[in-house]
Amino acid sequence: MLTYDILIVGSGGAGLYAALESRMEEDLQVGVLTKVYPTRSHTGAAQGGVNAALANLDPTDTWQDHWFDTVKGSDYLADQDAAEIMTREAPMVVREMEHWGCPFSRTDEGKIAQRPFGGASKPRACFSADKVGHVMLHTLYEQGIRHGVNFLNEWQVLSLMHDGQRCQGVTAINTQTGRVHTIQAKAVILATGGHGRIYWTRTSNALGNTGDGTAIAFRAGLPIKDMEFIQFHPTGLRRTGILVSEGARGEGGFLLNGLGERFMSRYAPEKMELGPRDLVSRSCETEVREGRAGPEGEVFLDLTHLGRERILERLPQIRELCIEFEGVDPIEEPIPIKPTAHYSMGGIHTDLNGQTSIEGIYAAGEAGCVSVHGANRLGGNSLLDILIFGRRAGKHALEYARNNSFTPVDTGQEEADTQMIASMMEGESGASIADIRRAMGNLMAEKVGVYRNGKDLESAVSELADLQEQFKTVRIQDKTKAFNTELVSALELKNMLDLAEVVAVGALERKESRGAHTREDHPERDDGNWLAHTMATLGDDGRPKLDFSPVTITEFEPKARTY
Amino acid sequence: MIEKITPVRKSILANIRIQRFTPSEHKSAYFDNFKVTVETGMTVLEALRLIKNTQDSSLTFRAFCRSKICGSCAVRVNGKPVLACSTQLMPILEDFKKDSVSIQPLKNMPVLRDLVVDIEPVIEKLSKMHPYLMENRERIPETLEQESIMSKQEHSRFDYITDCILCGSCYSACSAASADPNYAGPLTLGKAYRFSADVRDSFQGERMQAAVDQGLWSCAQCRKCINVCPKDTRPAVSIQRMRKMSIDDGIHDTAGSRRAKAYTGDVAKYGQVNKPMLPVIVNGPKGWAAVEAADNYLEKHGIEPTRQVCTLGGQSSTQKIYDKVKELEAKGENKT
Amino acid sequence: MSETIRYGFYSGCCFQGADARFFDILRDVFAKVDVELDLIEDAVCCGSGVIEERSELTSLAVNAKNMAHAEQMGLPLYTPCSTCYNVISNAQKRMKEDPAVHAQVNEILAEQGLEYKGTCKLTHTLWVFAQDVGLEKLKERVTNPLTGLRVASYYGCHTRNPADIQGYESADNPTSLEDILEVLGVQIVEYDTKDDCCGYHLAWPNNDLNMKMTSNVLEGAHTKDVDLMVTSCPLCFKSMDGTQAKALAQTGKNFQLPVLFLPELVGLACGMTSEDMMLKYHGVPVNLRL
Repeated sequence: MLTYDILIVGSGGAGLYAALESRMEEDLQVGVLTKVYPTRSHTGAAQGGVNAALANLDPTDTWQDHWFDTVKGSDYLADQDAAEIMTREAPMVVREMEHWGCPFSRTDEGKIAQRPFGGASKPRACFSADKVGHVMLHTLYEQGIRHGVNFLNEWQVLSLMHDGQRCQGVTAINTQTGRVHTIQAKAVILATGGHGRIYWTRTSNALGNTGDGTAIAFRAGLPIKDMEFIQFHPTGLRRTGILVSEGARGEGGFLLNGLGERFMSRYAPEKMELGPRDLVSRSCETEVREGRAGPEGEVFLDLTHLGRERILERLPQIRELCIEFEGVDPIEEPIPIKPTAHYSMGGIHTDLNGQTSIEGIYAAGEAGCVSVHGANRLGGNSLLDILIFGRRAGKHALEYARNNSFTPVDTGQEEADTQMIASMMEGESGASIADIRRAMGNLMAEKVGVYRNGKDLESAVSELADLQEQFKTVRIQDKTKAFNTELVSALELKNMLDLAEVVAVGALERKESRGAHTREDHPERDDGNWLAHTMATLGDDGRPKLDFSPVTITEFEPKARTY
Repeated sequence: MIEKITPVRKSILANIRIQRFTPSEHKSAYFDNFKVTVETGMTVLEALRLIKNTQDSSLTFRAFCRSKICGSCAVRVNGKPVLACSTQLMPILEDFKKDSVSIQPLKNMPVLRDLVVDIEPVIEKLSKMHPYLMENRERIPETLEQESIMSKQEHSRFDYITDCILCGSCYSACSAASADPNYAGPLTLGKAYRFSADVRDSFQGERMQAAVDQGLWSCAQCRKCINVCPKDTRPAVSIQRMRKMSIDDGIHDTAGSRRAKAYTGDVAKYGQVNKPMLPVIVNGPKGWAAVEAADNYLEKHGIEPTRQVCTLGGQSSTQKIYDKVKELEAKGENKT
Repeated sequence: MSETIRYGFYSGCCFQGADARFFDILRDVFAKVDVELDLIEDAVCCGSGVIEERSELTSLAVNAKNMAHAEQMGLPLYTPCSTCYNVISNAQKRMKEDPAVHAQVNEILAEQGLEYKGTCKLTHTLWVFAQDVGLEKLKERVTNPLTGLRVASYYGCHTRNPADIQGYESADNPTSLEDILEVLGVQIVEYDTKDDCCGYHLAWPNNDLNMKMTSNVLEGAHTKDVDLMVTSCPLCFKSMDGTQAKALAQTGKNFQLPVLFLPELVGLACGMTSEDMMLKYHGVPVNLRL
């Protein structure tokens, strides 16, 4: 049996920050279990910035401004004490990253450069060209090497174990060998990222953003929170969902439907293409729903009128991205796009230290939900979230592990998981993983997507139950133990199906429109009934059971969210 | 004018030849051929996923972000290391004027299965290079109340290399790494340069020694790593710069640094490198063996050996260039 | 009567010792296809990229000087050496991308009354034959097609890497060498180590590694049972031919693979003799049944 004082599951920014924080004094054994290699994690894909009121660009900026922007952006669903901690500590964690070598871009004075960002009242997004997540991830990994963090690379987590009160550890499969192991740990920090892949091809997320940590926590009886809130980005590429950033519209790009009409005139005649993200996403979706899409259900982002020179000078990276991922040169023709699922606001319910309802079990980053993003995350706050709460979870887990002994654990779970995998490997498949996955993604995009309504959501819940039944007949055709990626896909799909159901059930239950959650049949925000977090636990019948908990309001009374 | 948009999307039925190998089942690698309708916009990764989903679920490859930032999916396509996720198939079929394309795992690393290689050996080499910043307290404040000050120009010395995603493409393309398993390879030396060039770092001497020990002078400057790097991090350029740093620090006297000094001095003096004597200049007295071997070769072919430098016509004016560069450098005005 | 093509000829350092014969060979072979070379008189060594390990600015200035002379002659700069091509092309690109550096280099050159305008065109043996002379004319001049000869073609690295140093052909799938060889009538044989580096530039800092790398390339071709290897790079030629015996001995291999410098094979196909090509100076004996 493998043993770590602290085991971190997931190697993105939250996981690595937690690992560093808990390993800094090098007195405890800290392991990071990851299904990839640490630098592959999805944190690296974040391009824009990390918010911190350093006031390097605008000397009047304060953390209180940042705090308010965050709460307002969340459509008042964020817990204000959590948002306060995050924004107050932000300058410190960003500076700590900088001291560790993170190569932020610089101002003329040589300080960390900052830029304006959507939803922020002051320019406070610290950046490194268009690669800030990437350089943060690598910096944390580098310091992890320096401080002797152990990495279990290419391991897939299977189950979370506790005795009802305290953490015992996890089971996981070593993908390279195919063997299931019990890993005993005093503390486990789940930092497995979001679950945008429940939208399968309609997401900007990495292939592995399948919510593994959130799903195993849910199955282990822990509550998961606000799962119905999924942020959509209006301009994902048709084939892959990869983002074409706002820059293209900022530079004067037009949104056209299949008929060639500049359709934003219908929805935002003044702001046109520069309307807020959610409005633009809904507008694109409406065009598709009303039959004005291109041949494959896409709309178009047209830059051709900007001309070759302007595109080459101002948007070279966007052009490269369209050529590489879509095979389309925006100088020559319009870019086919679709709204794409981008960020999961919800996740494992934690307190301000990242601790869950079980002692020694923590969650941080997109996998967790403190909550600081509420119903809608502000750009530049996701990278901040992982630093702040990765760090806090690491710190708290360190103290916890120092002061507590291991909780006994037997190999019952390992045996059950080994058996579960063995039975999936036996015999011929009834249903195909790819078919179920695609059906799930399409269903989620159509019925639990940008627009939602009671009728669609009800049918989504029942169709998802059907898919879960089909999944039971899935058998792995690849019978090799070592590096069986088909098996990994099946395990991920199981996690996604569980979470998709919670998202759909939550969306059905929440009869209002707030932040990223838009109910056509309940178009207004309803603070009287719904200023509350949705808490889902696994019911005795195997279905999600919903409860609600109040939002913490300390400073800012909910107001209409207008920009 | 409003016009209906009709995108032009081509498709070709292509043969995708993929190298397969499962160590527990096969004695050696072999190729499987898959027929796939390649459409405009289809990446190599999409084709691999399509094959896995519809033709052979045991096909094994790595992929994660799909957007050229995680570095998981590097494979060789028609021999060249690329990221599967950001490589369009149609232009490759057109470039090679064939209806087939081959996909193989990266070279210079053991194959774990099909297109998946073991990158652990490379990560180990990287770890030995001290690939992290060690705080230089003259630059980095003790408290978190302040950030360090680093000018844009100081930042730009190494910023380009921070794009590295550790995908291993350069390592796969490196012939020196093929021939010498102990050679650290382009990406690791690039990373070493990234930190050594950072004014916030205090660890330069030890890292430099690690770089010298792991083959700073074993790079042949073939520049393939620059060609294949999907992020344009120019490892060979970093290696040149790291070499310059090692010469500048005066401590790391190596065959390579002696060569660099010899070339630089000879061009000033003769407008040309003193090739006949180079082995002795670089390797000291033991270089005479090579000089003698060259003499013998010439004598065998009836050519009179010479110690004469074969000067070039511009020799008289090179010193002027050197003087001027020195003058600019003394004034701190070198713009490179 | 076809028109003569002229180039400013930049020889580099490669034609020394036994390879000094290539000055004559190159002129004679080019004459067969109506190419004339005007020596760039005031040239200096390109520094082989090694000078950059001391001073990038010096390297740029030296190569700007070489190009400035070609500009004054009003001719494209032709160099037979792939490394010279690479270094000069890199300098050209660097100055094009950074006007401040370009200006500084010109400030340096001004002391000797020179200016590098940035108009100089660069080319190499490969594209002289394949594009400027053209395959059609080359074919006309082939009087002695080398039919049946099994040949391994070897570009070496410095006309290919990185991709943006040349605008003549696909960098990932160059065909100029094979196109030329096909016109000469030979049979081209594919082999695995074709894209590998011979390690020539490690000769003095790390000779053992140079020998291993050279041996690896040779072995890849040898296992395909070829009659000879042809390379367009004179430095690769030194590794492959001049140091072949040592490389193979040091790596425990025992075979001989004749290696020709591309102009030699073109000369032979155009009716010149082994004596004209001075093949006796090769390290590995070349006994072709022509």
